[in-house]
Formats: sequence, C-alpha cells, structure tokens
Amino acid sequence: MSSTSRGACGPASPSSASCFAGILLGVVIIPVVQGRGAGLDAYEAICRALGIVAGSPAQPQPADRTAPTPVSQVAWTPDVLQILARADTNRGRAKVLEVCVACHGEQGVSVAPEFPHLNGQSGAAIYKQLHDYRSGSRTHPLMTDISKALDEPVIADVAAYYAGQPKRNPNPLTLAESPEAIVRLIELGDPNRNIPPCAACHRPGAGGPIETPILHEQGSNYLVLQLQAYASGERRNDVYARMRAIAARLSPTEMKGLADYYAAGFR
Amino acid sequence: MRNVEKLCLAHMWVAFAAFVAAAVLGTWQMWVRSPLGAKVGTPGQYFMSVTAHGVAMAYVLTTFFIMGFGYFVAVTALARPLPGKAWAWGGFWVALIGVIMAVVPIATGQASVLFTFYPPLTASVWFYIGLVLVVVASWIWCVLMLVAMAEWKRENPGRPVPLAMFATVANAVLWLWTTVGVAVELLFQVIPAALGLIQTIDVGLARTLFSWTLHAIVYFWLIPAYIAFYTLAPRAAGGRLYSDTMGRLTFILFLIYSLPVGMHHLLMDPEHGNATKFIQVLLTAFVSVPTLLTIFTITASLEIAGRLRGGRGVFGWIAALPWERPMVLATGLAFVMLGFGGFGGLINMGYGMNAMVHNTAWVTAHFHLIFGGSVVIMYFAIAYEIWPRLTGLEHPSLAPLRLQLWLWFIGMMVMTLPWHWVGLQGQWRRVANFNYADPIIAGWGPWVIVSFAGGLILLASALLLVRNLFVLHRSPSIALARPLYALAVHPPQRVPAALNGFGLWNVLVLVLMLLAYGYPIAQFVIAPSPSAIVHRVQ
Repeated sequence: MSSTSRGACGPASPSSASCFAGILLGVVIIPVVQGRGAGLDAYEAICRALGIVAGSPAQPQPADRTAPTPVSQVAWTPDVLQILARADTNRGRAKVLEVCVACHGEQGVSVAPEFPHLNGQSGAAIYKQLHDYRSGSRTHPLMTDISKALDEPVIADVAAYYAGQPKRNPNPLTLAESPEAIVRLIELGDPNRNIPPCAACHRPGAGGPIETPILHEQGSNYLVLQLQAYASGERRNDVYARMRAIAARLSPTEMKGLADYYAAGFR
Repeated sequence: MRNVEKLCLAHMWVAFAAFVAAAVLGTWQMWVRSPLGAKVGTPGQYFMSVTAHGVAMAYVLTTFFIMGFGYFVAVTALARPLPGKAWAWGGFWVALIGVIMAVVPIATGQASVLFTFYPPLTASVWFYIGLVLVVVASWIWCVLMLVAMAEWKRENPGRPVPLAMFATVANAVLWLWTTVGVAVELLFQVIPAALGLIQTIDVGLARTLFSWTLHAIVYFWLIPAYIAFYTLAPRAAGGRLYSDTMGRLTFILFLIYSLPVGMHHLLMDPEHGNATKFIQVLLTAFVSVPTLLTIFTITASLEIAGRLRGGRGVFGWIAALPWERPMVLATGLAFVMLGFGGFGGLINMGYGMNAMVHNTAWVTAHFHLIFGGSVVIMYFAIAYEIWPRLTGLEHPSLAPLRLQLWLWFIGMMVMTLPWHWVGLQGQWRRVANFNYADPIIAGWGPWVIVSFAGGLILLASALLLVRNLFVLHRSPSIALARPLYALAVHPPQRVPAALNGFGLWNVLVLVLMLLAYGYPIAQFVIAPSPSAIVHRVQ
C-alpha cells in the first residue's frame, strides 16, 4: 500500500514544485525585471503585479491630457436613477398643467407637428432632454427658458408623468407602406455606410443607452427635423456623437422614410 | 438494471431533444452569418437564437445527459439499487420546469443575453430562475451520487470503488465546487438586478465569479467522455484498460486543476493583476496533464486490444481494431478532434497569443471542436452503448450508427477548421452579420460558406442520431447480455484511501482556490470598483 501511495504522490510533488517556481516567476521575477525598465522599484512592481496597486508593471502609460468636453452634463449615476425612481406623477401632472400643456398637451399629444409627442416616452429620455436644455447642451427658443425654470425633482416628476401616459393605437393601415429599404435600414442598418440598425437601440428591450427615446408613434415631422438638426450639427447633445454620425449619412428620402415608419406606430 | 431505465431514458431524451433543436438553430446561425444568408434574419433574431443554442447545448444537453448517465453508472457499476430514486425523479422534474421557465423568455425575446449572461445586460428574471432550478436539480444528482458511493463503500469495506463510479463521483464533486461561482453571481448580483432591487452591477466581480465556473464547467461536460474512454472503449475494442490507477489519477487531477484556472478567460480584463493571471495560466498548463495521461493510457489500452486481435508491427494493431463498433470508432474520431482542439486550447492559454485571438471566431471554433466535437461524439457513443441496456433491444444494424458518427466528425472538422482560419484573420465573434461587400471581409466569405456546409452536415448527423434511437425503440431483436465495463490489466485489489475517495482532494482544491481566487475576489470588497448601470433587455 505504501508503495502505491508514493506512486500517487509522484506527479503531485513535481507539480507543487513547479507551482512554487511559477509563483516566484509571476509574482517576483518578471514584475521586478520588467518594472525596472519602466522606472518602478521592486515593491511597487510586485504590488502592481498582484493587483494591490493599479497599473501594469510593463510600461509607463502616457497620460491623455485632452480636456474632456462632454456634450451632456447628465450622468446616469445610481443617485440620478434613484431620483427617477422616486418621481411623483401627481406633482408632475400639476406642473404639466401649469407649463407644458400649451404645446405638448395634457396627455402628451402635441398640438403642432414641430413639437414632439411625449405620451409613453421613456422617462429617462425626457429627463435628459430637459437637463440638456437647462445646461445649454441642447437649445430651443422656447424650451431653453422653460427648462431653466424647472428644478431637479420637478424635472423627474414631469418626465414620469408623461412616461405614464398611454400611447395611441398604432394605425395598421400605414404599416404596409414602408419600403423594404427602410425596413432593412431599421433592422439591419447599412454596413457599407457604417450605419448601425436603428432597432439596435430604438427598440424596447434593445438594452441600448438608457436615454434612448422611444420613436414609435412620434410625429413624422418632428423626427425629420431632429435628423436634419443632427446631420447639420445644429443639435449636438448626443453622447459620442452617435446620432450626428448616423444622420449625416442618411439621404433626405431616407430621413422621411424612417420618420414615416416610426410615426406609423410600428416598432 | 433495477428499474432506473425510465429515469435514465427520460433524462437522455430531454438532453437529445434540446440537442436537435439547438442543432437546427446553430445551422440557421451559420447560414445567417454567411454571404448566402445576408438578407436573412435580424440581429435581434440572431442573438435570440444564439442564446437558445447556447442554453440548450451547454446547460440542457449536458446536465440532463450527465445526470442520466450518472444514474446508469451508479446502478450498473456498483450493482446495487439507486438510493433516493424518488429524489432523482424530483430532480428531473425540477430541472425540466427550470428549462421551460428559461426557454419561454428566450423565445419571446426577453433574454437575449447569451448563455454566459454578460452583465450588466439583464434579462427577464424567469430566465435566471429557470437556470438556477436546473442547477439545484443537478445538486440533487450530486448528493445522490455521493450517497450511492458512500453506501457501497460501507457495504464493501476496503474494496476499490469501480472506476466508472469513482469518476462519476469526481464529476459530482467537481460540479458542486464549480457551480458556487455562477450561483453567487446569479443570486447576489444578476437576479437582484433583474428584479430591479439594485440598479448597478460590479461587472468585474460578476465576470470573476463566472470565470470560477466557466472553465470547470467544461470539464464537467468532458468527464463523461473520459469515463467512456477509460471504462467503455477498452472493453468495446476487446481489450483491457492499461492502468486503473492512471484513470483514478486523471479524474483527481481534473478535479484539482480545472477549478483554479478560470481566469485565463479574463486575460484581457483589467480588474486583475498580471501575477494572478500568471498563476492561473500556470495552473491551466497542468490541466493538460490528465489529458496527456489519458491519451497515453487509452492508446495503450487500444494497443492491447489490437494486438490481442492479431495486429502486428508498430501500427498494425491500429488496423486490427474493430472500427465497426460505434464506441471504438467514436473514441478514434474523438481523439483526432481532441488533438486539434487541444492544440488550439494551448494557443488560447498563452497570454500573448490569446490577445490576438481573444475576441475572434477562433475561440468559438475552438470550443465547438473540443466540446461539440470530441465530447459530444462520445455522448453519442455512450447513448448507443447503453441504450440497448435501457430498452432491452438491440440495434438492428450498426451501419447507420457509424454513418452518424462519421457525419458528425466530418461536419465538425469542415465547420471548425475554416472557422479557426477566419478567426486568425480577425473575424470577430458575437456578431450577427458581416458586410461581405467590404474588401477585407469579402475574403472570409468562401471560408464561412464552407463552415456553413459543415453545419449542414452536422444537422444531418443530429437528425440521424434521433432516427437511430427511434429505430432502436422499435427494434425486433432482443439485446444480448454482455459485459459493459473494461477490466484493468491488473484489476485493483486494494487502493490507498486517497485514490478511493475525495476528502484529501477537496482540501487541496480549497487551498488552490484560496490561492487563485482569494485576493482577486476579496479585492472587490476591500476596494469596491465603480459599478455599471444595469441594462435591461426585456
């Protein structure tokens, strides 16, 4: 039995020896040797290798000195998400009746084609746009001043109120009218022009950026105006210039086609 | 067989039903990704399909097959009734309910997060709860395997546990260790996020916990194939197992070295120090030891069989082997795929080479070849071997069985070798479609079409498998009773306690896991990193 026992431990001993040698190599020797080239002392290099201190031991990394120029001041921190989650729709409704109703209607159905419908819109999207108007990231002759008069919790309240208003019923008659090229653009994009599918973000459950607005049943006219504003660079509060880049590659016919598709209420 | 036939068949039929559905989806995905399917399907449908394919192949096929095979081994190798049969049936139903709970949200597009979850993406909570139920059911199986071995040892003091059962219990122990990582991730991070209880997820921690599971789970899938290599193939070839001790060592080494190595899936991740990655890569290198031991032992065992059948010379014994028997044929084909796949795996293990292939189709091709190829072909062989014992009926003809195995092998090679190649050229993975009008991507087109052709062959093989099993159920011939498990050249009379149980090895696993994962996980508590906002896809 004892001889079998030694046999069993046979492979274990060299493996624990090489394990030990490996740890020595990975934790001490390589970091110290590589760290010397990067001007790190041995202690610092070992700490970095272990992950106790941040940084790679191999090379000093050049720092990026470009000043950040965010296009929006809204950051989706847990605090902001909490503000949205705690919004009060009753207070929101009171503010809507006082301020917003004239253009966007009590239930979010706007009175003129150049104003967006807000019923059933994403609360995060409305919240971000109001903040961007306040901070000047997005400008509008009316909305800039109106937004500056609203305070933090009220913005979230208004957003939550409109988000809770029902969508109208989609009009099935208009669904069949979207040309195949437009449907392809929405579902597949156009890789030749580096245009991602619209549905990658503007689809419920797409998992895209949280501020992505819901487009279906939005006014066609309003959507065309926004695409044009993005394409010309007049509107620039889209993070990473995502929409500016996409809109600039769309033809006027495509803008109209996409806007009509979404206006029809089809997702 | 003491009345567990229905239990085993129920498990295996669920496994193969999921397998066929996933094979159809997989072929469709190959078509969509190829230039031929450029106008087919949307990315939304593609990722839904990938999720369903991954869940069905990686969780349903494997878990149900392994549980069914485990019950079979516990009864046949130990020659005693299965303890807790009611529990086993309970586990089966819990797992089946879990599968249905997970499949419904996938089918309705509420869970397109792939089978590896990728937080902060968050699916419908039913998806995760369904998968947790599958895992819980598999824990029942683990306990039953441990109980079966313990009771046998009590009845047979001092005798070595039969190798097939020893290996099955090694897999159960491995699986208990393995599932801890993903269970913690799901229960404390992903499910609370899916329920809306938390709004942020520490992605680094989630990935680290998943990596705990991610590599060992592959060995959980693999061990049934190795059980077949050691205990079924030598007998099917008409020979003997070269060394029983080598088998025990192999399964112990799998238990020890498949766990503290998962971080080689995170080589490109920023949340861990280079030294931690180095240590785990080193331990990863040791995982090749049991595989090399196996290749040596099984080749030696087959050589014994070949020479007993009159094979002469250096290679003559190979030709003398009974290749017409499905188990022998599958073992040979699995070894070829294991060779290619293992070579690719050694590439992935190296930090610098991994950096080049990390997010390319190379990796997808690698795990299809090694799991879908060498492991799953042994699942087929096991099914063909034990089905007559479960049904009491004999295969009317072995030719369709051999054809099915050959088709699977050819299909897998035709699919994965070009797939490796385009991966080396930079084809990225987890992508729904490619713009073949782009001059660089255009060159991949023909290779992707060849891969798709391989996919079609695989689909034909999958359908033929089901056909073969159906035919067996209606077969007119009664199965002959013949021995199943291979005897060793020197059958073990007594083995040291260390090679007859897992107490010592569990301690060693604990030590290695503390070494490999102790600080890497503790750091998330000591200095919490910024968390990501949860992205809900439902």
